[in-house]
Amino acid sequence: MSPRRHRTVIRRALLSAIALACVATGCGTGPGGGDGRDGRIVYAVDTQPDCLDPQISPYDVTAALGRNIFDSLVAMDADGRIGPWLATSWQISRDGRTYTFRLREGVRFHDGTALDAAAVKATLDHTVAPQTKSQYAAGLISMYTGATAVDARTVRVALSRPYAPLLQVLSTATFGIQSPTALRANRGRTCLKPVGSGPFVFAGWARNRRIELDRNPNYAWAPAGVDHQGPAWAAGLTVEFIPEAASRFGALSSGQVDVASAVPPSHTGRLRHADGFRLLRADQPGAPYTLLLNVNRAPLDDVRVRRALQRSVRLDALVKALYSGAYDRAWSTLTPATTGYAATTEGSWPYDPDEAARLLDEAGWTGRDEDGYRTKGGTRLTLHWPYMTSLMRDQRALLGQGIQAEAKRAGIDVRFTALEPGAYLEKALGRDADILAFSWNRAEPDIMRSYFDSGQTGDKGGSNAFGISDPRLDDWLREASATRDPARRAVLYAQAQSRVNQQVLALPVYAPATLVGAADRVRGVTFDVQAYPLFHDARLED
Amino acid sequence: MLPLRWFARRLLLAATVVFGAANAVFFAFRLLPGDPVRSMLGSTNPTPELVEQVRHELALDEPLAVQYGRFMRRLFTGDLGESFQLQQPVGEVIGDQLWPTVQLATAAFALALLAAVTLAVLTAHRPRVRRIVSTLELVAASTPAFWTGMLLLALLSFRWKWFPAMGGSGAVGLVLPAVTLAAGLVGVFSQVLREEMERALEQPFVLTARARGSGETAIRLRHALRHGLIPLVTLAGWAMGALFGGAVVVESVFSRQGLGQVTAGAVAGRDLPVVTGMVLVSALAFALINLAVDVLYRIVDPRIDERSIG
Repeated sequence: MSPRRHRTVIRRALLSAIALACVATGCGTGPGGGDGRDGRIVYAVDTQPDCLDPQISPYDVTAALGRNIFDSLVAMDADGRIGPWLATSWQISRDGRTYTFRLREGVRFHDGTALDAAAVKATLDHTVAPQTKSQYAAGLISMYTGATAVDARTVRVALSRPYAPLLQVLSTATFGIQSPTALRANRGRTCLKPVGSGPFVFAGWARNRRIELDRNPNYAWAPAGVDHQGPAWAAGLTVEFIPEAASRFGALSSGQVDVASAVPPSHTGRLRHADGFRLLRADQPGAPYTLLLNVNRAPLDDVRVRRALQRSVRLDALVKALYSGAYDRAWSTLTPATTGYAATTEGSWPYDPDEAARLLDEAGWTGRDEDGYRTKGGTRLTLHWPYMTSLMRDQRALLGQGIQAEAKRAGIDVRFTALEPGAYLEKALGRDADILAFSWNRAEPDIMRSYFDSGQTGDKGGSNAFGISDPRLDDWLREASATRDPARRAVLYAQAQSRVNQQVLALPVYAPATLVGAADRVRGVTFDVQAYPLFHDARLED
Repeated sequence: MLPLRWFARRLLLAATVVFGAANAVFFAFRLLPGDPVRSMLGSTNPTPELVEQVRHELALDEPLAVQYGRFMRRLFTGDLGESFQLQQPVGEVIGDQLWPTVQLATAAFALALLAAVTLAVLTAHRPRVRRIVSTLELVAASTPAFWTGMLLLALLSFRWKWFPAMGGSGAVGLVLPAVTLAAGLVGVFSQVLREEMERALEQPFVLTARARGSGETAIRLRHALRHGLIPLVTLAGWAMGALFGGAVVVESVFSRQGLGQVTAGAVAGRDLPVVTGMVLVSALAFALINLAVDVLYRIVDPRIDERSIG
């Protein structure tokens, strides 16, 4: 090979590398900025849904986006009352095991299929079918035994046992009614092709980038409580996935998106004082971020130790310092935004270090080791609190360190350890921990049953991670889930909440809220009862 | 021109690498603590029936030998299985996101190469500029991509609005991510390139060229640069790993589509089939790039013959 030829080869290689880069990037083409939105609202969210079939995916983000694509049989208002939506009326049999829904006329799914009894049946059957592999929805209607189309507009739903929260369950985005035609045609691919009857039509999903939703021009069946009937104001919704909080916030403040989800609590102050932007906030219903305590092994099997922990953490100061007032500290295992919340729990277990010290002395933890921790018979008072980093949104790792520091002042050694998912779940399912913490968004006090009913242990799909077995709580929570008398339910849930605090079965920490940042040019973004943003009434102003 | 036997041996080696990666990922997953099915179903309190169903579908309830046989059989037919999270064939998930990452990596590589060549040619054997530039290169090479990206975004996107903050189709959207990704490479490339060029500039043939009356620029470009390019070819294999690893961060900071995001999502969600697929695809890419590098060696430096290459 001659030197000349040799050189040409290198030159050619370099040139083709540059050419390739040009082909790859489309040198000289490509649109510039983000103008010309044609009335579409650009909404930045932090997480991409795994799947858009609300009956499959367990995640909030799926439900939140799905709320704009799917309608439900009934709607829950801000006061927790159930009203009509796709069903105009319903009857519940005396034994509480049969629900008969009368469906609205004239409703059409995005693919043109008419809503009828068979459609409702198809969605419910799809939920519980094993091949659907529902990760959340099926568990909510485990008592469902089947549905029958009485006539085209009447569907009868049968349950194996009475379940008072059924209407709440059916009001959620998780039970958005799907087009039966699409369910059949897209079997196995419903994650990618959601077809509902809601104000927005799914128009495309560029994975890891965005989801496009177009306005449903035929929409005329919004539930009560909306600002206007008829199609959404905005021509569409472009949902951009921007996982980094700083990028998302920057995109909002520089006008590249109109609305941004999951504003970090530390940024809320800046947003409140910035010109041209607003902070939209909605309290989440359900269980607050709560420390579940392992009452079935030492040292937390002793109620005095549990109470000492409860009284030795200055939650007011901790939550305020960390969340700059965006979230409130919690007093109960239900958040204030949940029906049945007992306001009487507020202030019922104040910070009291003297009481904590007395309780620990009484429980026999009288010694002190060289690090200042309390000991009994030479053993240090140690609590193991494993966590999974992927679940630590909202700076929960910092919060945990705060609680750890507070406990240390009382002489309790909290071992707050990050574990990878496999190891974490092994410990959680094996109950090899003293503390586990999580929150749960659900607009129904029945969430307490999942946490404290002895039949709702982790291996059975519940959240009672440590197998708390309290006969009184079992009775109250089961009766509350079977009775439909609101007054009776309120009494039962109030009793349950105060019992959990008295027995210190759990330590509620803070009540999460949905924090959304919006440019002033966007008006009318509202929230549903689960604090998911709704765009039916939203519009762009010039 | 390539000796066939040599090439066949290289090809076999590449196949061994991919096969080794397949084994590694298969056994690594089974050595992880905890129940893989539970990990996959995550934090959502799955019902026992669902756990068993998924275990059965992924054949994780079978003896290890049976699982291994099935895994290998499927692998040879090119079937990567179905993503658990996305309920979509893994091949489709990866194929779908391959192109944006190839774009990003190619652009970043070209950019880094261009910048490194320019810097090296301008600063070799010029002590004063060399010191300054070399310090800057060190800073660039050791700054985390996350930080570089955020800085670029804050200035060029949020403040001056020259570039889009997210996604960004076409060339405009590619600029910031590619620059961020290239920043980490430039330093390494130019340090190596300059070192080699300086060694070349001290060779007698440079003196000959000078005596012949060649200008300094011509000497640097025509003679010294060519010597410097050889170790750069070696680095290309390494760069492939750096680019791919960097893509995970860069794609997330710039909210870009691509394999980096697929990997991050699959690892976080314990999506076993996708993680396996990603490991295999990257092993394959690695093997192919290195094969190409070996071939390129023989072209760039004809002195290498088949006996001196292993």
